[in-house]
Amino acid sequence: MTGLRTDGYLPLADYAAIGDGRTCALVGRDGSVDWLCLPNVDSAPVFDRILDADGACLELAPSGLFDVERRYRPGTNVLETTFRTAQGSVRITDAMTLYDRSSLSPLRELVRVVDGLDGRVALNWAFRPRLDFGRRKLRLRERDGLLVAANGSDAFALSSWNAGDGSFELGRGERATLALTHAHMEPLVLPSRDDVERRVEEAAAFWAGWSDRLEYDGLWREAVVRSALALKLLAFSPSGCIVAAPTTSLPERIGGDRNWDYRFGWLRDGVYTLRALLALGCVDEARAFFWWQMHATRTTEPEVRPLYCVDGGIRTDESEVDVPGYRGSSPVRVGNFAAGQLQLDTYGPLLETTWRFWKQTGSLGAARPRELAALADFVASEWRRPDSGIWESRDEPRHYVLSKAMCWTALDRVDRLADEGALARRPEWRTAADEIRRWIEEEGWDEARGRYACVPGEDETDASLLAMALCAYVDADDERFAATADHVRRDLGRGPHLYRFTGADEIEGAFTTCSFWLVDALARAGRKQEATALMDELVASANDVGLYAEEIDPVTGEFLGNLPQGLVHLALVNAAVSIADGADPE
Amino acid sequence: MIVGALAGGLIGTAVLTSGSRLAQHLGWTRMDIPLLLGTIFTSERGRATAIGYAIHFANGLVFALAYGLVFEATDRAGWLFGLLLGAAHGLFAGGVLLNVLLPVVHPRMGMAWTDARSAPVLEPPGFLLSNYGRSTLLATFALHLVYGALIGLFASL
Repeated sequence: MTGLRTDGYLPLADYAAIGDGRTCALVGRDGSVDWLCLPNVDSAPVFDRILDADGACLELAPSGLFDVERRYRPGTNVLETTFRTAQGSVRITDAMTLYDRSSLSPLRELVRVVDGLDGRVALNWAFRPRLDFGRRKLRLRERDGLLVAANGSDAFALSSWNAGDGSFELGRGERATLALTHAHMEPLVLPSRDDVERRVEEAAAFWAGWSDRLEYDGLWREAVVRSALALKLLAFSPSGCIVAAPTTSLPERIGGDRNWDYRFGWLRDGVYTLRALLALGCVDEARAFFWWQMHATRTTEPEVRPLYCVDGGIRTDESEVDVPGYRGSSPVRVGNFAAGQLQLDTYGPLLETTWRFWKQTGSLGAARPRELAALADFVASEWRRPDSGIWESRDEPRHYVLSKAMCWTALDRVDRLADEGALARRPEWRTAADEIRRWIEEEGWDEARGRYACVPGEDETDASLLAMALCAYVDADDERFAATADHVRRDLGRGPHLYRFTGADEIEGAFTTCSFWLVDALARAGRKQEATALMDELVASANDVGLYAEEIDPVTGEFLGNLPQGLVHLALVNAAVSIADGADPE
Repeated sequence: MIVGALAGGLIGTAVLTSGSRLAQHLGWTRMDIPLLLGTIFTSERGRATAIGYAIHFANGLVFALAYGLVFEATDRAGWLFGLLLGAAHGLFAGGVLLNVLLPVVHPRMGMAWTDARSAPVLEPPGFLLSNYGRSTLLATFALHLVYGALIGLFASL
């Protein structure tokens, strides 16, 4: 098989991710590394072919026709791609290595080890770097047998062993290795072959050890473990932030303009993050994420932004880049305009996360009582404002019922924290919470249709309302909520998949997170049989290595949107946990 | 004069180190002096950086002492004279010290005579430090001018 590409682009489901806790690379099924930002996940890309068929990449594949099979080495984020040709077969092992305390190692390192399995296979490789979509010129030159490209504070070197200068042959038992090393504001470190190959094995051992410690033995263990590993890839270890996805501008519709930069941490994901991490026993990661969340919000409190940079900063200005975009889906955006929106639904998850952290640890961690009180005061005074909602609409702000429900959650949680003596109570919090609940149950309940409305008075079904149960506003077996969930499934469902709102089928794919949220809600409501059947179908819709993009075309199964998508993997873990034990940890 | 030169050396080294870091952030150079110095002694990045900073400050004081001795010997000091010494120092640092001597003593950096028994891993500075970025020599020279001027100024107070 060759010709996997359409107009130079692979299907998005043909990508697997590797990473090192600072950044991620996407490796295509045809052996091409088509996306990599260095040194960090939110830095400029050095490989960008997912957004430009003529863009930058690191190709490595047999020169003729081949069949491909791939997998992650069990329990790891080390990818193994096996190419079979008429002449023989080879296996490429791809990994990003980790900080090495035993030898001087590069700041970042991506390694590709090719092992000959049988026969004799001719392979080609090509190193075509481009910095920041070509906006920063790279000078690629050969220096002492290495390919080195540099611009200002960044330098890249490709070392190769037994791999010729772009083409080579490999027989059974033979090995060739390529190592891409990156230096940022420092001299390049040019490693030895032994060190490089040792670090690949050490990375594999780390990932296997980490996944071995996950505390989950329920159904779909393999999918849950893969999701945990994907989430660990998305975690920016220096700060604890977990990015929504390591990519920008992969389209929600082919040829469309709904292309966003997801290389940031979203606060609202925190509640799902904390639940999933704690359920899996990843206490250190949960603490780190909570610390990042509190550290980030400190820069803007009492107002919080929906999203922050991986280091907690607010450099999120959006701009467009002059590249074609995935299969002509433009514009390609860097930065995210939504950071400046008022999204009231952010506050509920933030304070629910704080509440859960308190219940788990008996401390507020990085949160400070004064700051929590300021957040609550803000919610109590501002909840009546229209906002952009969870879907970050760029149209006029509206009165989203979910946003109000999350304001209630925020005030209820801070009031409960006051009950427990974590901070001093202010009576206006409970007063405002009661007022919000009245508003939701009177204005937000659509009596004629028998469900909660997306926006009062408008005939629109909204799958995000499922979060009302996942985020503490209501129990999943509540009559009104159950009716709403049934409406969502009926109005927005296509097979096991859900679109996120009425009319979404005309502009984008089904939103995989919502599908897992429905599973979660059904499980919490005690409808485990339905939940299990739906979960089986959704787990089967992952790609061949167990990853999900943000969206999926329910007809073709084609992936759409950024990938791998953290929120989907969080929702998968939480749905599995809910089916396993049914209860949300109080 | 010697004490003044040492005081100037302390401040001058702080300015030189901060300026060097700023030049890295601005993308003018990838030369990381503390990392280069520290990795002479250890391959562990964290320790190397800490050791490197200590060595760099010690070096700054040793050179300041040398400046002070020149001031004593010539019985003159001042920011302009310091600046001239800084120019000579900058040329020496960029042309010889970092360019030639550092790779010679650095166990993790390759030289022309490095053979199969070694596996150097650290990028050498190259001709006039150009491997670390084309502005490296200029930045190094300019920062040494400031360093020298500060020592001369303090020695004259």
